[in-house]
Amino acid sequence: MPNGVLIVAETHDGALRPASIELISAGLAAKAVAGGSLTAVVLGEGIVTAASDLASRGVDAVTVVDHTRLAQFTTDAYAFAVEQAIRAADPRLVIFTGTTAGRDLAPRLAARLQAPLAANVTAIGGDASEIIATRPVLGGRVQSDVRLGGDLAMLTIGPGAFPKAEATGSSASIETLDVDFSGAPERVRVTGVATVDAGGGASLANADVIVAGGRGLKEPDNFGLIEQLAAAMGGAVAASRAVVDAGWRPHHEQIGQTGKTVAPKLYIAVGISGAVQHNVGMQGSERIVAINRDPDAPIFKIASFGIVGDLFDVLPELTKQLKA
Amino acid sequence: MAYSMVVLVKQTPDLNAVRVDRATGQPLLGDQLVMSSADAIAVEAALQLKEAHGGEITVVSAGPPSVKDVLTRALAMGADKGLLIPVENPNVLDTLAMAKIIADALSGTTFDLILAGQHADDYESGQVPAQVAELLGIAQVSWVTKIEANGGELSFERDTEDGKQGVIASTPLVVMTAESLNEPRYPSLKGIMAAKKKPIETASVSAPAASGAISWSAPMAQSRPSAGIIVQDKPAADAAAELVAWLKSNKLA
Repeated sequence: MPNGVLIVAETHDGALRPASIELISAGLAAKAVAGGSLTAVVLGEGIVTAASDLASRGVDAVTVVDHTRLAQFTTDAYAFAVEQAIRAADPRLVIFTGTTAGRDLAPRLAARLQAPLAANVTAIGGDASEIIATRPVLGGRVQSDVRLGGDLAMLTIGPGAFPKAEATGSSASIETLDVDFSGAPERVRVTGVATVDAGGGASLANADVIVAGGRGLKEPDNFGLIEQLAAAMGGAVAASRAVVDAGWRPHHEQIGQTGKTVAPKLYIAVGISGAVQHNVGMQGSERIVAINRDPDAPIFKIASFGIVGDLFDVLPELTKQLKA
Repeated sequence: MAYSMVVLVKQTPDLNAVRVDRATGQPLLGDQLVMSSADAIAVEAALQLKEAHGGEITVVSAGPPSVKDVLTRALAMGADKGLLIPVENPNVLDTLAMAKIIADALSGTTFDLILAGQHADDYESGQVPAQVAELLGIAQVSWVTKIEANGGELSFERDTEDGKQGVIASTPLVVMTAESLNEPRYPSLKGIMAAKKKPIETASVSAPAASGAISWSAPMAQSRPSAGIIVQDKPAADAAAELVAWLKSNKLA
């Protein structure tokens, strides 16, 4: 009988990804409702450090798949390895990160193993017979409870939905799972990774932090202040319709009714009044910070934290303090 | 080489028209049904491949009779023919059941590429294309931000947390398009007229019953922490310091 929870941890350059450390908290939450033990499988190449880091943060057991085929993410190799880890652990629930890799892998494996799957989950409840996963839909404006029965179910978790798991002071057992990759297809080959500099090229769709600028910036050159804050926070740059229409910024950065809908962990609106046409594109954000000179600006009504003040004074100060 | 392409398009509520009823917490979807924005990007990607290399584009949509509208829109953008897979209430099916219906409908066709948006506007699961790929036994490339075609081998750039990953893959292939891949064109008047003469076939597939293993509640508004903190009439340095402290206490900095 399937039992317990398996989490699929990713690494980057031999270290756990931040999303994998949040994943542990999701795994602990799932274990609390589904029972059994919490096993973590960690994948990559040269991941001894990542494995012991994982073992120190509250999981019951760690399974390591360390192989050159896992040095770079490919669907074929990762799905092949994770499938074997699932068969070995025989869990009730498998949880993946909400990274581009996790969101790529989970549906593939759910189809392979005929398991129900819920994406982008922000809370886990229910019990072993019926796991209840809460997830945002319709651009984050509303949420839905997904009930997962059956013997085996799968989830991906929303970025930032669970806190990073802390070290517990004890360490779980670490075992190696030998995977023979000779049977794994190799239909997609990686040619390289072009790294983006922090902030600069981060895509809006995947960004945890978005810093958006509006007409309050007065002229296009002042957008440098937005870029500097975004860089300091490792976030992406976005713009209101007013400044896109004025030709200051490209359309792909535009948030709102005629632009993109985003729901990052943190959305910082600078010099944006918060017209409804803008707000529909970002009100699903987990937390909203507004910086505006006008205390009556509607953006303050939906802000979790607002500063009424001159952005030309506040922004340089904020960037400086964040870098300190 | 000319590519035989299938594009999966989903009909969704117009997300820009979605409102939340403050009293009940229920979403008000509005009357407008549109092509999911990510799928429009997939249609555009197919059109660009066809324009550069030749080929044929079949757009496929599963749902009630109204999905004919999104098929017609894709035809007006320049796709060649449509395939409507009749599914009376697609929203009661989970992604795997939907993927099985689509894979079943495509099993008799030959194609080089299946393109689809990374995820739909409404439920945002992003699962159907990868599940179709698995069920058809072919490879997938997700979060695609650039496509370069060289015959049966294509190179892609894809979004990852570490930057753009470059990959090479051979047809047949499922390609999931990221938002930044392109800006979808609007149908021209000529395209709209031409679409009326393009064929839309109806697939005969037996829709599997909804899986008993998964079900979900009607969506409801989440409660947002109501009154936010407002810092006013303070020197910039102090206001910034309060914000930095708040960001840190919320693990955001």
